Amino acid sequence: MTTSVALPWVTPARSASSNGTQAPRTSGAQAVGTSGASASGASAPGTSGASASGASAPGTIAAVFHPDRLGAQGSFTVALDLTGGGTTDPSPLLSAVLRLPAGLGVEVPRLRACEPERLRLLGASGCPPQSRIGVGRALVRASLGSLLLEESISLWVFLGPLRNLQATFEMLAQGYTPFDERVVLSGAVRPDEPPYSEDLVLSVPTIPTLPLEPDASIASMSLTIGASRRAAREANTTVEPTRCPPGGFPFAAELAYADGSTQTISTTSPCPG
Amino acid sequence: MRRDAVPSPLARRPGRRMLVAIALGCACAALAGIAWAAGGDALIVKEAFTPDRLGAAANLSITASFASSADVPPSPIEMLTLYAPAGLGIQARGAGTCTMVTLEQRGPASCPADSRVGFGGGVAVVALSGQLVREPFTLDFFFGSTAHGHLRLLTYVSGSSPITTGFVVVAKEIPTHKPYGLGFSARLPQVSTVPGASNASVESAFATLGASDVAYFETIHGRRTLVHVKGLTVPRRCPPGGFPTRAAIEFTDGSTLTVNPTIPCPRG
Repeated sequence: MTTSVALPWVTPARSASSNGTQAPRTSGAQAVGTSGASASGASAPGTSGASASGASAPGTIAAVFHPDRLGAQGSFTVALDLTGGGTTDPSPLLSAVLRLPAGLGVEVPRLRACEPERLRLLGASGCPPQSRIGVGRALVRASLGSLLLEESISLWVFLGPLRNLQATFEMLAQGYTPFDERVVLSGAVRPDEPPYSEDLVLSVPTIPTLPLEPDASIASMSLTIGASRRAAREANTTVEPTRCPPGGFPFAAELAYADGSTQTISTTSPCPG
Repeated sequence: MRRDAVPSPLARRPGRRMLVAIALGCACAALAGIAWAAGGDALIVKEAFTPDRLGAAANLSITASFASSADVPPSPIEMLTLYAPAGLGIQARGAGTCTMVTLEQRGPASCPADSRVGFGGGVAVVALSGQLVREPFTLDFFFGSTAHGHLRLLTYVSGSSPITTGFVVVAKEIPTHKPYGLGFSARLPQVSTVPGASNASVESAFATLGASDVAYFETIHGRRTLVHVKGLTVPRRCPPGGFPTRAAIEFTDGSTLTVNPTIPCPRG
């Protein structure tokens, strides 16, 4: 049996083998091709921008498609640097909203969901591989004693269970050394206005270090959503928009920190040559 | 002068304002769960195992906060002797060690990661021209090399503003008797600041020792393996009334103070 799955940020349905797991089609399920661009919040072509309120250092965002070809299936990578290039630890991140360009889709050949509790208990291997939609890395920092301690974190992103017919995702963050810690972050997908299509809304829990010591904060993060078509038969992939707006594909992130400050950073990924 | 403190987390020491000089004190205080106080004012000490479970690898954390309404700095601690409860485990075998020279010349970042015992910090205070000047400091705890089979703990005390300072305190393991299982003694250096100012003492401090989730990669039999550090382990049995600890403090003004606080038994 083949099943076509449409999530709010999924491209037009596509056939794939399935064991019967299906997702309902949501209204307005296909966020495709709204390439109209009254570029609210989008940056000028090929540039990045930032606005901030509060004390946090201005961050940067960069985005790239793999492969970079209109309409191509594959993945995209978004990299966030929250330190502004500095070496100090920023205030802990409370939430992040990643705004994705109009027309971007996710191809889910076989919809499976990952329950956050399984992620917490079993790690990435506890969830169906078909539910995995991305991977990444993060660098977290904390001032302990006289040291600015850094830890490299591995990230896995999974489709979460639908909530009110709305797509969700779960992000597993696993560090090994010096602290063997596992944190699960929950997120949701919500519609956005042009020139964006969908937002990934991520709540970031506190990242504890040691009793009496400050929580860790995220210094940088890189997420790759989708996968190479050759990666696996049932791998979830992204679909680059079929049309590129003048100036490139807009990406943006809205960040809120524990110290009350906020930031909006944006960039454009150049149109394929 | 010798005073026996009450076995309470909130003790009082009549007579004069005193300081709570904790530099290394903090390391040992964490083990001992010290609670002590000053004339009219009190030092409130809170301590806990995390996780709070018998036999578990845990962090031992302590806060010591001196609540003073006066503008006279406390007197520095000169000597600190501390005893931890029997059964408290310290996984020192196989752990790395740091040296006093490394700490003094290159700082805590140069010590092997697996020599780390804990972290901490606090606020120091000096009297200068009738005013109290406070300075935050950090504490970094490491295993030193053993001496004649006895453990040594190194504490790197560091402050940067308004006065830059960094020094090492060495705590040596000493013989103990029941109900204690481990003891350390340390002589604290007196920290002079600027001409006309008092030696630095400590107003508040905190420390976290041990590790409940610290791990390092090691190559074992040719394979890169994640090795978890046990660090401190909570005793497997808790005596009635809690885990006993003890601290004997000698101040630079010649006074002494002995306290016998207890760490509450884990619930359940």
